[in-house]
Amino acid sequence: MFTTISESSESAIELRSQDQLVYDLREVILRKPFICGYGRKDSMRQRQTLKVGLILALPLILYFFGFFLYPLFSLFQSAFTTASNVPTLNNFRSMLTDSLLKTSLENTAYYFTGSVVVEYSIGFGVAVLLYHYTGRLKCIFRTAIFLPLMASPVVIGLMWLLILNTDFGPLNYLLSLIGVQPLNWLGSQSLGMPSLIMANGWEYSPFVFLIIYAGLQTVPQQFYEAASVDGLTRLQTFRFITLPSITPSLLVAFLLNAIGVLKGFDLIYVLTNGGPGYSTYILSFYTYVVGFSFFEPHYASALALLFLLMIGAFVFVMLRFTALEDYLGLKRVKER
Amino acid sequence: MKKFSILVTLLLTLISLTYLFPLYWTLITALKTGSEIFSRPPIFFPSQITLSNFYSNGNIFGAVSETAIGSVPWLVDSTLIAILATLVSTFLIAAPAAYSLVRYLRSVWLGRLILFMTMIPEAVFVVPFFLMVAKMSLLNTWWGLIVVYISFTAPFSTWLLMGFFNDVPKSVEEAAQIDGLSPYQIFYRVSLRLVTPGIIAAIILNFISCWNELLYALVITYSPFPAGAQTVPLFLTSFIIIEKEFAWGGLAAAGIFTMLPTLILGVYAQRYLVRGLTMGSVKG
Amino acid sequence: MSEVVIENLTKKFGKTVVLDHVDLKIDAKEYFVLLGPSGSGKTTLLRLIAGLEDVTDGAIYIGEKKVNDLLPKERNVAMVFQNYALYPHLNVFDNIALPLRVRGWSKEKIKQKVRDVSETLHIQNLLEKRPKQISGGEQQRAALARALVRDPTVFLLDEPLSNLDAKLRVEARAFLKKLQKELGITTIFVTHDQAEATTMATKIAVLNRGTVTQVDDPYALYMKPNDIFTAGFVGSPAMNIVQGAVKRADSELQFSNEDLKLTLGNLTKDAERGVSMGVRPEHLTLAKKGEGLDCIVSNVEPLGSITYVTVNIGKTSFIVQLSGKLDLEAGTPAKIEFDKNNILLFGDDGKRIDSTATN
Repeated sequence: MFTTISESSESAIELRSQDQLVYDLREVILRKPFICGYGRKDSMRQRQTLKVGLILALPLILYFFGFFLYPLFSLFQSAFTTASNVPTLNNFRSMLTDSLLKTSLENTAYYFTGSVVVEYSIGFGVAVLLYHYTGRLKCIFRTAIFLPLMASPVVIGLMWLLILNTDFGPLNYLLSLIGVQPLNWLGSQSLGMPSLIMANGWEYSPFVFLIIYAGLQTVPQQFYEAASVDGLTRLQTFRFITLPSITPSLLVAFLLNAIGVLKGFDLIYVLTNGGPGYSTYILSFYTYVVGFSFFEPHYASALALLFLLMIGAFVFVMLRFTALEDYLGLKRVKER
Repeated sequence: MKKFSILVTLLLTLISLTYLFPLYWTLITALKTGSEIFSRPPIFFPSQITLSNFYSNGNIFGAVSETAIGSVPWLVDSTLIAILATLVSTFLIAAPAAYSLVRYLRSVWLGRLILFMTMIPEAVFVVPFFLMVAKMSLLNTWWGLIVVYISFTAPFSTWLLMGFFNDVPKSVEEAAQIDGLSPYQIFYRVSLRLVTPGIIAAIILNFISCWNELLYALVITYSPFPAGAQTVPLFLTSFIIIEKEFAWGGLAAAGIFTMLPTLILGVYAQRYLVRGLTMGSVKG
Repeated sequence: MSEVVIENLTKKFGKTVVLDHVDLKIDAKEYFVLLGPSGSGKTTLLRLIAGLEDVTDGAIYIGEKKVNDLLPKERNVAMVFQNYALYPHLNVFDNIALPLRVRGWSKEKIKQKVRDVSETLHIQNLLEKRPKQISGGEQQRAALARALVRDPTVFLLDEPLSNLDAKLRVEARAFLKKLQKELGITTIFVTHDQAEATTMATKIAVLNRGTVTQVDDPYALYMKPNDIFTAGFVGSPAMNIVQGAVKRADSELQFSNEDLKLTLGNLTKDAERGVSMGVRPEHLTLAKKGEGLDCIVSNVEPLGSITYVTVNIGKTSFIVQLSGKLDLEAGTPAKIEFDKNNILLFGDDGKRIDSTATN
């Protein structure tokens, strides 16, 4: 009764893939003849499949309407009106002249690039390093690297407040041991973002590490054995065997890292609160400020839409132009 | 070869120490006496430790609160909200939806939609959610926050469970069909039981996210239990704003103390977390 | 009461035709085997009977009732899957009991019934264990128990022996055959292994690419296959099939191709249509000298009591079955003789020509 029947435009049907016919919702809704096409008995089964499917998914559908579509609608509504509910494009026009927005966007780019580069390369490097380590301390190392993931961004902010403190913080002390003058990490505009990147790097590089490390572990030992029989050097093995095998992990790690950084709010709020000055204002933070410090919900809605658009574009590009989608468990067409 | 592995070991030790250091520093700050906290140069190995930052003279976390209960109100809120949000979203919403999406409403676009929903930043919906919760008169209440938290725990759990449900062999479900179970019975009695690791991963990860969440709590709540529903992250941030320059010991102690639940959960359930966090990019 | 009739059944997945106008009649208490290579549609046919797939065209009757629109549970069939599909999270007892629980049987009745069935299948000691704690053979019997506990009208098995090792497989074959006879349930069994089919079935339907090529009892299938496909599929090692032509030379019929000329016996006129010849390895003999065609021994495979020898006549090769040991070596010449009474001829449509003379 719940074998799904239909033809997917996305995959050719072979004899062996009997059970994996994708039931495309669009076809059901849009192409009514399709439902009636196979004859009464088929359509009855199909309708039952649809009915059960909808009932099971009902809570999520309700939530979707209530907490996704409705807020989205409300954002649109708010973004295109003024405080007195007059339709307008002013909210978007002000974006063009908003210097703080410009700063936020620049900072976002700075933060994004810096964070992702730092976190991804460190996470990647550590994963490779630990993978090649064969001693008994492996577990200890792994747990140590894993720990930062357990802390909340708020706590991480606290920790780094203590560490980065100009006078009493250990970082400046350690730097002074190699002759560097004490730096005003959280007080000077040029150092605000680097501090943030440091703390964020500490928080997120283990995440990248985790994904890539897990990916490294799935590479079958036989590949390496075959490589050594074929006489590849370490570097060659890495380039031709390891890297292609862990491509899924690399892509997923990048995607999640990037999204995680863009979403970031907690750390900034705690560590720098946007300062010093406005040097650590990024788009997510700015949206909050506009909404709840400046109390301009309409403009904030417009900013939120901008933010959403950015994320959407990024995800779209990532999914469309890389093979990422195959690795996220979406297109899984399994054998019986 | 030998030199290489020594180098690797050294590097790894260095890296591990770097990752451990902030935790260590916070821990010892929490245990230091006031004079040792504010010393230059900073002391790495305190000569005496004290628990007064955690609990002293009826105050919890140093000089912060006047009542003896300290952070507990916030803890109550956080615990309740996180547990309820997690359970409701995982069992009532995500599990049936994930199952439906894998076996019934199989559609690539729906899957993509769910994936996208997990990636939406909090800042995007914070304004509408605030207005909605206010309109429902749920500001500063548990359910106000729970209902908002579900908006991100549900898609994530659904996503996670979709992967797990996909791995349930169809033949077992077909056998159940032949044995006479209705689709709902098959879901509840067979398929759901077979995705237990996924459920555990979803619960743990969602609990941690709810526990640590800041933005929505900041906006929707303004006082703790019993009058309100402020969560732990807000307790910590109030520290910073008010006590930034002085109660460092208390700040550190509060940080360590409130990190403990997630720390314990995380260490205990590493295996589940790995599966959940790697999002199916890795098989098994 | 429990016959199964398939009437003009067609099944398509999208545009691909998987079963094409299949007609079958399975009598009550029969052990009916659907035999065919992968992709032949045999498993699809089984699933259609079970109700796991929908019919595109045609009808299925179980015991005179048309079941096309009925749910699997309404058809009172039971099925054992290739991987047994036991519920991993339940112990064996609960696995077997689940169909009854769902039907609302009382606890005592369930207990009694499960005990009975598990005794029949000799798994009464395993009831507390989980599927992954028991061996493959035991799992299979547990799956059988679960299927039988409902006293089904029809019993469907989808290649249940494929996951067993060779020795267990032989034991299981005998076990299943005996069980079916004792219980007297109409059984439909799907396999690609022709040895399984011939040892267990009362009747076999051979399927090839969605159509039934022949329905017969095992022996008839073996001796009188309807077409080249069936001839080559049933029997191991496979029947030797050679292309060529049948010509009349003087008063005799000869089968010849570029490598050989073989005199056939007294056959009907129809035989002249033949373009392929088939002869089973056991209907050939080899000798060092004597009558027969010249050939060169190319490969010798001793199996203990019998030996398979591959010989070549030019580009044509034959596999010969000999008993005992052969004292010929590879590369040496020999003489091959044909049992003319057991040569089959096939026309250009692939079908066997009924060519035995009626005198």
